[in-house]
Amino acid sequence: MNHKLLSFASALLLSAVLQPLTASATDLRVLTHGAFAVPKPLLTQFEAETGVTLRITKTGDAGEMLNKLILTKAEPVADVVFGIDNTLVGKAMAAQVLDAYKGPAATRVSKAALPGAVVPVDYGYVSINYDKAWFVKNKLALPKTLEDLTQARYAKLLAVQNPATSSTGNAFMLATIGAMGEEKAFGWWARMRSNGLKVAKGWSEAYYTEFSQNGGGYPLVISYATSPAAELFYSKGKFTEPPTGSLVLPGAVFRQVEGVALVKGGGNRAAAEKFIEFMRSPAVQQGLQTEMWMYPAEAGVAHAPALQVAPEPTVFDSPAAQDIANKGAGWVARWIKVVLK
Amino acid sequence: MTRRSRLLLGAFPLVFLLALLVAPALRLLQEGGQLSLWEPWQDPYLRWRMGWTLGQAAATSVAALVLGLPVAWVLARWEFAGRAFILRILMLPFVVPTLVAAMGVLALWGPQGVWVSLGGSHLQGSPWLLLYGNLFFNLCLVVRAAVDALGQVSAARVAAARTLGATPWRAFWRVEWPAIAPWLMSAMCLVFLYCFSGFGLALILGGQEYATVEVEIYTLVAHELQLAQAGVLALWMLGLTALVALAYAVLERGLATPVRADPLPRRRPHGIGQWVALAAVMAVVGLFCFAPLLAIGWRAAAAGGAAWAVLLEADTLRAVWNTARFSVLALALATVLGVAHALAARQSLWMRTLVFLPFVVSPVAVAFGLLLLYPHWTASFGLLVAAYALLAYPFIAKSMAAALDSMPPNLAQAARSLGATPWRTFWRVTLPLLRPALRRGMAFAAATAVGEFAVTLFLSRPEWATLTTLIYERLGRPGVANRDAALVLACLLMVLALLAFMLIERPAAASGAHRGAGRAHGPLPAAELLHA
Repeated sequence: MNHKLLSFASALLLSAVLQPLTASATDLRVLTHGAFAVPKPLLTQFEAETGVTLRITKTGDAGEMLNKLILTKAEPVADVVFGIDNTLVGKAMAAQVLDAYKGPAATRVSKAALPGAVVPVDYGYVSINYDKAWFVKNKLALPKTLEDLTQARYAKLLAVQNPATSSTGNAFMLATIGAMGEEKAFGWWARMRSNGLKVAKGWSEAYYTEFSQNGGGYPLVISYATSPAAELFYSKGKFTEPPTGSLVLPGAVFRQVEGVALVKGGGNRAAAEKFIEFMRSPAVQQGLQTEMWMYPAEAGVAHAPALQVAPEPTVFDSPAAQDIANKGAGWVARWIKVVLK
Repeated sequence: MTRRSRLLLGAFPLVFLLALLVAPALRLLQEGGQLSLWEPWQDPYLRWRMGWTLGQAAATSVAALVLGLPVAWVLARWEFAGRAFILRILMLPFVVPTLVAAMGVLALWGPQGVWVSLGGSHLQGSPWLLLYGNLFFNLCLVVRAAVDALGQVSAARVAAARTLGATPWRAFWRVEWPAIAPWLMSAMCLVFLYCFSGFGLALILGGQEYATVEVEIYTLVAHELQLAQAGVLALWMLGLTALVALAYAVLERGLATPVRADPLPRRRPHGIGQWVALAAVMAVVGLFCFAPLLAIGWRAAAAGGAAWAVLLEADTLRAVWNTARFSVLALALATVLGVAHALAARQSLWMRTLVFLPFVVSPVAVAFGLLLLYPHWTASFGLLVAAYALLAYPFIAKSMAAALDSMPPNLAQAARSLGATPWRTFWRVTLPLLRPALRRGMAFAAATAVGEFAVTLFLSRPEWATLTTLIYERLGRPGVANRDAALVLACLLMVLALLAFMLIERPAAASGAHRGAGRAHGPLPAAELLHA
C-alpha cells in the first residue's frame, strides 16, 4: 500500500504546486532568449500599471527560441516574443509565426530598423575583442585586416563561436560573407582553419574558457563592441580603463538589431501591444543598456554613461536581408564543412 | 511478490516513461518526416563522430574502472579519518555546472594554469584533457558502486580462502572479484552511457572537433530544425546503446547471486606499504576529483569580499529556495519511480533494459517533443519537476536493482512464514535491507537534480531560476565581477549539495561506523526485524 500512498501523495503535491501557475486571462506570455534582462522594478511597474501579470519564459539562444516558436505554431506557447534579430527575422517571416504591429512604437523613427513585423528595441555590434595585456606582453601589433589573421604570426590566436549553435558566431560569419562575398569569405575561413582557428559552442564557452583574459589561450575572441565597457563596469574599480578592446576590422563587424513582436495566434493582444510599447519606453530603453549591453533603438534616448567608453563602430557589413533568409542555413552548413569537417 | 503486484508496480514507471519520453520523441520523429536510415554511415564526418563518441565512452569506462577500483577497495576496507567525507565529496563533480568545471580544470591545466606556471606544457585541446574531464565527472560512479559492492563480500569466504593459504591478491581475484563484478559492470555501463550520450565537459575542453553525436543531434534539432536527420542519428544512438544496455541486463541477471551478509570489518592500514598505498589512492582522488573543485574554491576565495556579497542578494536567496524546492520534489518523484521500477524489473529482462532509456534518449529531442506534445504545459512547474525526475530516477532504480539481486531471499520468506503480509514483509524486511542502496541512489539522483542538464534544455521562468541558472546568467556577460560571482555561487552550490548528501546518507554512515562495512546488514533474524 505504501507505494500507492507515496505516489498518490506526490501526485497531490504536484497538483497543489501546479494550481496557482496555470494561465489566467490577465497573463501575458512573453518568450525571450536567455540573455533578456530589463530592470525588475520596471517590470513590476508595468504589471501594476496595466494589471497584466507577466509570464516570462526564457529559452536558450535566440535561434533556438525561434525554432521553438516555429514548432509550436499550431498552438503558440507565447503571446509576444522578444529577441528576434536581423539574422532571424527572415526565417520568422517565412515561417509566418509573427503578426504585424502597427502602433506608435512601430512607426516612430528608430536608430536601427528591422524588416518585417519585428519592432526594433536595441542594437549592438558583434566584433573581434582583444586582450590588451596579452598583445603588450607578446609585443605583437594588433591585426589590421581579416587577411592579417591568416598569417603565421597570428596563428592560433582567434576563438570563434560555431554559427550553428551561437547567434554571435552566426553574426560574425554573416559579416565576413557580407564584406567579401560568399566564395572569398569561405576561402578566408578555410585559411583560418589551417591557421589554428578555435571553435567553441557558444559565447560563454568562448569568452570564459578560450579567451586569454579569462585563463584561456586565445587573445582574440568574437564578442561585442560593448564588451570592453562591460568589463570596465563589472571590474568594481579594479581597472580605470577596459582590459580588453574591440577591434574594428573591415568585414569583421556585424550590426545586430533585435526587437519585439506579436506572436501569430497568441492571446491577450491588448496586453501584448502594451508590452511592445513598454519595451520602447524611455525608462526601459535607458535601463536595458547596462543590463543587456546593447544600444537603445529609440532615437531620443541617450547612451548610458557606462557605454561612453564603447564607441559605436561606423562600418559594418551584412548580406542583404533576403539573402540571409534564403541562404542562411546553407551558409551555416557550408561553414561546418569548411571549418569543422 | 505476485505477478499482479509486479505489473501494478511496473505500470507506474512505464506510463511515466511513455508520457514523458517515448511519446515526445516519437512526436518529434513524426514531425521530421521521411528518414533515410543509412545516411549517417555514408557521411565520413558523421562516421567519425559516431566512432569518436563510441571510442571515448569505451576508453573512459575502462579508465574509470582501472583507477576507481583501487580507490574503492581502500575506501571500503580501511578505516581512516575523512573517509566518509571523501565518499560524499566524490559526487560533487555531478553538481558543478559544466562551464564552471571547465574553468576549474583550465585553472589547473590550461594555458595560464598552475601546471604551466610549474613549467609544464598546457593540455587544452589535447585528448588527455578530454579523458581527464570525463573521469572527473564519472569516477565517482565506479567508486561508489564498488565501495557498496565490496561491502557485500562475505567475510567468511575471504577468511576461508586466506586460511587455505591464498595470498590477499589471490583471495581478491577468486573471492572478492566474482562477488563485485556485477556491480562494477553496472557502474561501467552507466559511465559508458553517460559519456556516450554526454554533452558536457569534454566538449568544452576539446572544442568542437571533439563533439559527440549528442551535440550533433542538439545542433540539428535546436538550431537547424533538421528533424529527420536528427531523428536518424537519434535512432542509431538508441540502437547502439540499447545493445549495450541489453548486454548489461543479461550479464547482470546471470551474475546476480544473493550474498551472505557478513561484511568484512574495516581496519586501520598498518605498515608503511599500506600507508603508501593509501596515499597513492588519495593522490588519484585528489588529482581527478578534488583538484578542479579546489581550483574553483581557490579562485572564488581570491576574488575577495566584494564578490562574496552576491550570497546575500535577493536573487541568490530565491535561487537557493528554488534549487531546494525542485530537488526535493524531483527526488520524491524519482524515488517512487525508481523503487517501483526496480521491484518490477526483478524478473524481467526488458524492464531491466528500459531503466537506461532516460540516459540514452536524446534530451533535446525530448525537450522539443514535450513542447510539441503538451504546448499548454510547457514552462509549467509540474512538467519541469517531472523532467528532472525522469533524468534522475534511473540512478535509484539501478542501485535498488543491484541490491535486490544480492539480497538473500530467506529473510523475506521467513517473514512470510511468520504470517506477515507481502506489503508488511516489504516494508519491514525488504526495504530496511535495501535502505543503504536506496540512499546511495537518492544521493546520485539529488546530485543530478541540482545539476544543470534540464536547466539548459527546458523552458524556464526567471522566477524559478535555480543556482545553476544564475551561474549561467552571470557567465553570459563579460566582466570580472560576473565571473567571480559565478565562482562564488558555484561554491555555494557545492556546499549545499554536500549538506544534502550528508542529510540523505547520514544514517547509513552512522551505522557503518558500528557495523564494519555498514552497507549490508548483519544476518538479523527476520522475526527480530519484524518487531524492531
